[in-house]
Amino acid sequence: MIRATSRGFLWLGIAVILFLPVHAMGQPQVENCVACHQSLPDERLAGPAKLFSGDIHAVKGFGCVSCHGGDASDTEMSAMNPAKGYIGKPTGTKIVDVCGRCHSDARFMRQYNPALRVDQVTEYYTSVHGRRLKEQKDSKVATCASCHKPHSIKAPSDPRSSVHPLHVADTCGSCHANAEYMATYKIPTDQLANYKKSVHWRMMANKGDLSAPTCNDCHGNHGAAPPGISWVGNVCGQCHAVNGELFSKSRHSQVFVQMGIPGCATCHDNHQILETSDELIGTREKAVCTRCHTAEDRGGKSAAAMRAMIDSLRQEYDKAHSILLKAGHAGMEVSQPEFDLNEAKTALVKARAAIHAFSVVTLKKEIDPGLQVSAKAYAGGLKALEELGFRRKWLAVSAVIILALIVGLVLKIRQMESAQKSSEKEKV
Amino acid sequence: MAEGTLKQFIERRNFLNWFLGTTAGAFVFSVLYPLSRYLTPPPVAESTARSVTLSLKPKEVKANSGQIFRFGSQPGILVRTQTGELKAFSAACTHLACIVQYRSDISHIWCACHNGHFDLNGKNIEGPPPKALEEYAVNVRADQIVVSKKV
Repeated sequence: MIRATSRGFLWLGIAVILFLPVHAMGQPQVENCVACHQSLPDERLAGPAKLFSGDIHAVKGFGCVSCHGGDASDTEMSAMNPAKGYIGKPTGTKIVDVCGRCHSDARFMRQYNPALRVDQVTEYYTSVHGRRLKEQKDSKVATCASCHKPHSIKAPSDPRSSVHPLHVADTCGSCHANAEYMATYKIPTDQLANYKKSVHWRMMANKGDLSAPTCNDCHGNHGAAPPGISWVGNVCGQCHAVNGELFSKSRHSQVFVQMGIPGCATCHDNHQILETSDELIGTREKAVCTRCHTAEDRGGKSAAAMRAMIDSLRQEYDKAHSILLKAGHAGMEVSQPEFDLNEAKTALVKARAAIHAFSVVTLKKEIDPGLQVSAKAYAGGLKALEELGFRRKWLAVSAVIILALIVGLVLKIRQMESAQKSSEKEKV
Repeated sequence: MAEGTLKQFIERRNFLNWFLGTTAGAFVFSVLYPLSRYLTPPPVAESTARSVTLSLKPKEVKANSGQIFRFGSQPGILVRTQTGELKAFSAACTHLACIVQYRSDISHIWCACHNGHFDLNGKNIEGPPPKALEEYAVNVRADQIVVSKKV
């Protein structure tokens, strides 16, 4: 009975070993590959072995054979025998296969990062890169290893990672900004240079806002493709939701599609998205409306009217802010009107967003309350300055009174002294 | 003393007495007026740079609601969570400083300007705000809510 049970366990053990997937070997392995490779004179062969100890896969216990196959316990060249599963350096679709073997397996990946997506390979084959690789056998396109630097792969949140938000643009740019490399594709190569002039890059690089968009936020990462003309607005609308929604309901949304021009990018550009200003609206110099409208047509007149409304609110806000600042610096208590003026600022920001409805009526709904609040705050500032004038005037008056009192007292004392002397003389 | 000189002396004394009386009266007024102005309470409660006592009573703030209050010249938002906890944050959105509001339907602090969302720890969770709202300390003393900046 005992022997039968033992035999059962033995067979079970053999079955587990036979059917255990290769990628399940995530435990620390005997690593003779590194021992030999890191001392090789050829840097192409030694470099990866030296780098690999810092790779996230090595940290998690994976060794060279997890990707390259072979036998890490073999100290001879026979370790790299194809019969032992050795595949050498994978290229093209094989790279995707090797990575996907683990990364597309939800049950396996759950052990390491339950939140990690496992559809990267599926997504990849919907990308321009993946489709060209599969359909046209284009070996120049990006695969997993082009962006995730092999042997030194780090988690995207690691600032040293090539796919950390701060490095994504340069990683994509390593191909897309290389005019010689991209020559066969006949697409522009100025995206990286333009992006680095944009407000998005400035927010990310200078202000440390890692939520600012970089290449993959608009193009997708594994499923990278340029946004279509009809859905650029959806992409920008992920962050600029209010502007995106107003635009999608506006007349411009449909007209732009009919004209074959993209939504947001027509006015704001695509990679070189500069910080917006009120100058973009209207019919004057720098106004983007004039790219399609003239000052005389209906759209041009609406644009000019909207610009005038925005300008008036901005000027009224600035006027109120300035007088409150002046009163505050003079020592007056103006925190209440200053607090009220925050609403005018909110109205101004909302009005700037409401421009994307391209409707004078919609804009007026935001502008009018802002103008009322600004006028009230300005009156508060004016009152504070009047109070300041009153206090100064009466400070001068009271100073004169005090001086006069002193003079009067001195004269009175002298008078009393002289009266005393006169009476003493009369007595004598 | 000659008669003319005495008359002059008396006139001068009378003028001097009148002058002294008037200036002394004006002096007393110039002291009392600012004092009375100082003692008259301002129309709105002032807050110090670091803390403010709200005009709201704890019972008046219902669960799953939020209210804007004045913290100096800046807006603050007081939120009572669904579990009854009182929390306070700066109400100036970290994106473009619009005044945020409480959305009871999703229990988020929300900025209407660009659809920025913050959770009830003040953390920016959706939309363009680049960072969390500054959180203030809330203390309930008897029937008063005191909000103060955290050190």
